[in-house]
Amino acid sequence: MKTTRRDLFKFAAGGAAGLLLTPAPWRLVTDTALWSENWPGIPRPVRGELRTRFTHCTLCPAGCPVKARCVGDQPIALAGLPGRPLCAFGLSGHQLPYHADRVTEGDIETVRTLVSKRAATESVAVLDLRPGRTASWTYRRAMAALPRGIYLAPQSAVPAVNLDAVKTILSLGVPVLDGWGTPAKVLAARPHFRLIQAEPMESHTAMLADEWLQLRPGSEQALAEALAGQGGGERTGLSAEQIGSVARQLAQGGALVLATQESPAVIELNHRVGAYGQTIVARREAAVPPSWRPAAPTTALDALPDRSIGVLLIDESAADVYLPWTALESKLAAHAFVVTFASSRAGYGRYARLTLPAPVFPESSDDCVPAVDSLAATFRLAVPLVTPPRGVASPTQFIAKLANLPASNALRERADAIHAVGRGTLQQYADSRVVSIKTIKRDEFWKGLNEGGSWTDDAGGKMPPLEPLPSAPAVVAMSREMRAARGPMPPLVSKLYRESNLRVRT
Amino acid sequence: MDREFIARGVKRCSTGQFVAWITPWTALLLFGLYSAGLCLIKGLNQTNMDNRFAFGLWIFLDLTVIALGAGAFFTGFLLYIMKVKELGAVINSAVVIGFVCYSGAVAALLVDVGQPLRFWFTFWYPNVHSMLTEVTFCITCYLTVLLIEYLPIVLRNRKLREVPGFLMFEFELHKLVYVLAGAGTFLSFFHQGSLGGLFGVLRGHPFAFREGLAVWPSTFFLFILSAAAAGPSFILLTTWLVSKISNKRLVRPEVLPLLGRISGMLLTVYVLAKTIDTLIWINRTSPGAGFAAWEYYSWKPFGTWILFAEIVLFGLVPALILLAPGLRARTNWLVSAATLSCLGIGLNRLVMTLQTLALPTLSFDPFLSYWPSWQETGTFLGVVAFGVLVYSFSFRYLSLFPQERELKQPEAAPAGEPVLAGRY
Amino acid sequence: MSAKRYGMSIDIDKCTGCGACMVACAVENNVPPAPEGANDRKGITWIRVFRIANGAGKTAFVPVLCQQCGANTPCVSVCPQQAVQVDPATGIVGQMPERCLGCRYCMAACPYHARYFNWWDPEWPAGMEKTLNPAVAPRMRGVVEKCNFCHGRWHAAKARAAAQGRRDIDPADYVPACVEACPTGAIQFCELSARPDGPGGFRLLEKLGTDPKIYYHSQRDWVREIAAAPGGKEKARG
Repeated sequence: MKTTRRDLFKFAAGGAAGLLLTPAPWRLVTDTALWSENWPGIPRPVRGELRTRFTHCTLCPAGCPVKARCVGDQPIALAGLPGRPLCAFGLSGHQLPYHADRVTEGDIETVRTLVSKRAATESVAVLDLRPGRTASWTYRRAMAALPRGIYLAPQSAVPAVNLDAVKTILSLGVPVLDGWGTPAKVLAARPHFRLIQAEPMESHTAMLADEWLQLRPGSEQALAEALAGQGGGERTGLSAEQIGSVARQLAQGGALVLATQESPAVIELNHRVGAYGQTIVARREAAVPPSWRPAAPTTALDALPDRSIGVLLIDESAADVYLPWTALESKLAAHAFVVTFASSRAGYGRYARLTLPAPVFPESSDDCVPAVDSLAATFRLAVPLVTPPRGVASPTQFIAKLANLPASNALRERADAIHAVGRGTLQQYADSRVVSIKTIKRDEFWKGLNEGGSWTDDAGGKMPPLEPLPSAPAVVAMSREMRAARGPMPPLVSKLYRESNLRVRT
Repeated sequence: MDREFIARGVKRCSTGQFVAWITPWTALLLFGLYSAGLCLIKGLNQTNMDNRFAFGLWIFLDLTVIALGAGAFFTGFLLYIMKVKELGAVINSAVVIGFVCYSGAVAALLVDVGQPLRFWFTFWYPNVHSMLTEVTFCITCYLTVLLIEYLPIVLRNRKLREVPGFLMFEFELHKLVYVLAGAGTFLSFFHQGSLGGLFGVLRGHPFAFREGLAVWPSTFFLFILSAAAAGPSFILLTTWLVSKISNKRLVRPEVLPLLGRISGMLLTVYVLAKTIDTLIWINRTSPGAGFAAWEYYSWKPFGTWILFAEIVLFGLVPALILLAPGLRARTNWLVSAATLSCLGIGLNRLVMTLQTLALPTLSFDPFLSYWPSWQETGTFLGVVAFGVLVYSFSFRYLSLFPQERELKQPEAAPAGEPVLAGRY
Repeated sequence: MSAKRYGMSIDIDKCTGCGACMVACAVENNVPPAPEGANDRKGITWIRVFRIANGAGKTAFVPVLCQQCGANTPCVSVCPQQAVQVDPATGIVGQMPERCLGCRYCMAACPYHARYFNWWDPEWPAGMEKTLNPAVAPRMRGVVEKCNFCHGRWHAAKARAAAQGRRDIDPADYVPACVEACPTGAIQFCELSARPDGPGGFRLLEKLGTDPKIYYHSQRDWVREIAAAPGGKEKARG
């Protein structure tokens, strides 16, 4: 029997029909579905032991406590404590270290050599954008150790605001309800004060304020001057009645004027409405080791002669209020060397010669300044949750090394100094226990701080006087948009901007 | 060169001319495949559909071609079940058009879904409450029916007939033609209806939501009626178009007016039903859901003109034209009315998909507009090109018009000259 | 374990539109950062805060998420392959992205626009995938997703209860991410079956008959009028 083509066809057809009765083709079809369910390229979340760690957020000066849910050591979700919720930035801050635009490379050694050489002969200035930290003391000590060291900061002193005493707030562009102070405290105090928001665009705060004064762009200072009796109200675009109404509201006591820039007009206005001593109060600073006392004072930028700074080192790793570059530039000598420590090139990196990579929350080991609405001094550590990548430089260590400061753990020293004074209480977040530090040992105090704890000074006692005018501090805060434009924004927050109209202005 | 494949007794253009004809369509098809490929490989972000416009050009296209391809089942129903013998002149062409429309729609659907590999989930985990399940099952079955109906037409090709196996197979298959016609009608009835039901059940969009009979909203029946009305019109249109392009007489002069009359009658019933349904919707259904009907038409460009256009301009007007024997006898009027009727059905499908989705439901919804991206348009044009190519090959090599052989070439017959009037 | 009906009570007067709920939701549910080309019409925001204005300078913010419709659930009845089901134990309308074909019929059906399609494959910058929540599976492109009241947290609460030998979960263990994150407490999670009179307030598009489980409250008349009104009466942002 010869095998014909027909036989082959019959065999093939029969085989195909038979195959349909086997699991094979159905399995293949199911496998395609399984493949589509395990789509290659979709990351699988890492599993592991779930742990809770505590730290403080450093994205803004409020320094809210953070409860981090971690898989092993990796934070996967951040939350606030009961009654102290985090804002949108804090909630997604744990993703910042992996931001695609984050600066991760920089030749630190070359910079160190260069700066050391020039520091011998030229004046070196450090610009600290979040004064009041322990790192700020390190900078001041370093500048005192250098032959011609200058410590610059946007403000001489950071005052405190007594939210309980506030009845009227005039905000000149400050996002009071959208990232000022400790958000939870501000929102809790909201029913008790009247907010007048003065700014050109209807910001989020303006939408929620009791009154929105639509100023002509750039006329915030003019409004302050007009209210301080210095005339010029027509530059604001507001009517005389409107300005008069504001003046009357401010005159009723419990007033507070906030601005994005420190200026004599704002200080004068706060003085006129009696803010100093009532709503703007002094705050005792947490103790520092006595050996730190001979530290450079804060130099006002205006007090510097033009073209005098040879090397400018900017700590942008914790930045709240930016000084305008034009103001800084005029103080720079020809061929000045400007280095900024930042995690994004969008801030001073646009002007600096070099941007060196700085740690970003939650990598930074730092302490948190007391929030502006905290009447008592606080000492809280931003316990690092994540190791920074190789090549990232801590600006504090860099500057300390530059000035040959003895290698030390400044944070530990400070904690010991605070403990030595014996005032205040330590709150542990894990169990909400509050203990007086007199009852615990030094090492326990340090351990408690590192596990996410917060030291608060006792209320009452002798307060330092508010500095006399005209150098009384103003309460200055940057608008959130301006701050956000400089740093790497947590990707899920910029998502808000792109995928909803929630943050689009009118 | 390919003379052997072309049927005896009919003339077709030279191979060179044919190649010149199919070249641009092939190019368009390739562009369509490229566009579809982009969507499959890069994802549906290549389209301009978004979370509000979950359905876009492709769904509108699918609904329209399926409605227009209804000529296939309806002509089969009329010919084999209702014994309207004159329609034998166009049944083959109708089947090819149906096949082309449905296969094109299915192809577009496979690109439209986010995970085409999971297409079989609907068959394995069907949801009996969903209109889309019904549509999926029905369209798949009906495409199979169309394939089985198309096969004999292919097998009757002059060259393929020489294979005895094919001839026998075709002969046996022809015995089933009544079963197939019946099955086709039954399936088409349901999926044309379910396509309407897709939108009629949308409780969340009171613009589309309709009350009806048991689980079937009124749009179920309206879509069946409109498809039955559009089908013959589309057959009429395509036959006339093919006749014009190939410069041949393909059917006896009484066939087209007959199709027009059938379409006209159904269109009239449809317009009546649609008017009643619209009145009920305006006065009861929509207000019952908290939405006043006039609000829908306060969003530009969807003013009340669109309702007027759909029901009167593209509905009542062609219906009346097609019902008038005098006008039906004039080719210009006949073809224009058929075009209007098909456009009306397209407009209805556009309203049910795009206008439904554009309109806000929540009070703080904006009214949004949508315009297809070039990838979507390319895919759509590729489907059209596919249809034209399949039809072109079928027309060239298969006997789509059995009456062609007995008809003479048209001798300078001026347009608009009345043909023999009959009982049409 | 007795069947529960979980719902939410949202106080519009307390919402400041800060967006913390939106971010917390994205963190919990492994929603990726915005891809190139994303905008407010193609983005995935399981909870979205809309802004409404009364035209006279007053603003309010309304968070909208899946309303977990209890009756005539539009998405459940229309899904061709049963990728959406109402969980009888919790009343939560659960979406199974693994079953989803991506036909988007459910998206056309939802009147609250609470369903989102993955127009892109999710992509995280290098290293950021370490921050993903292991309790929630990331989705692939071409499937629909939506809020499920952080169902993963409910499962975790059940596991905890089971480990402690209890049948019912401890309510403190099951709090959706948005509720946990809201700084003013505007979003409250509640168990509707325990409140026979209902939480009061109004619901969106009540006349459609979908029986949503999200109840909104406001003391301001204009807010109630606008938010509860149907169909684009108010030009608002969101």
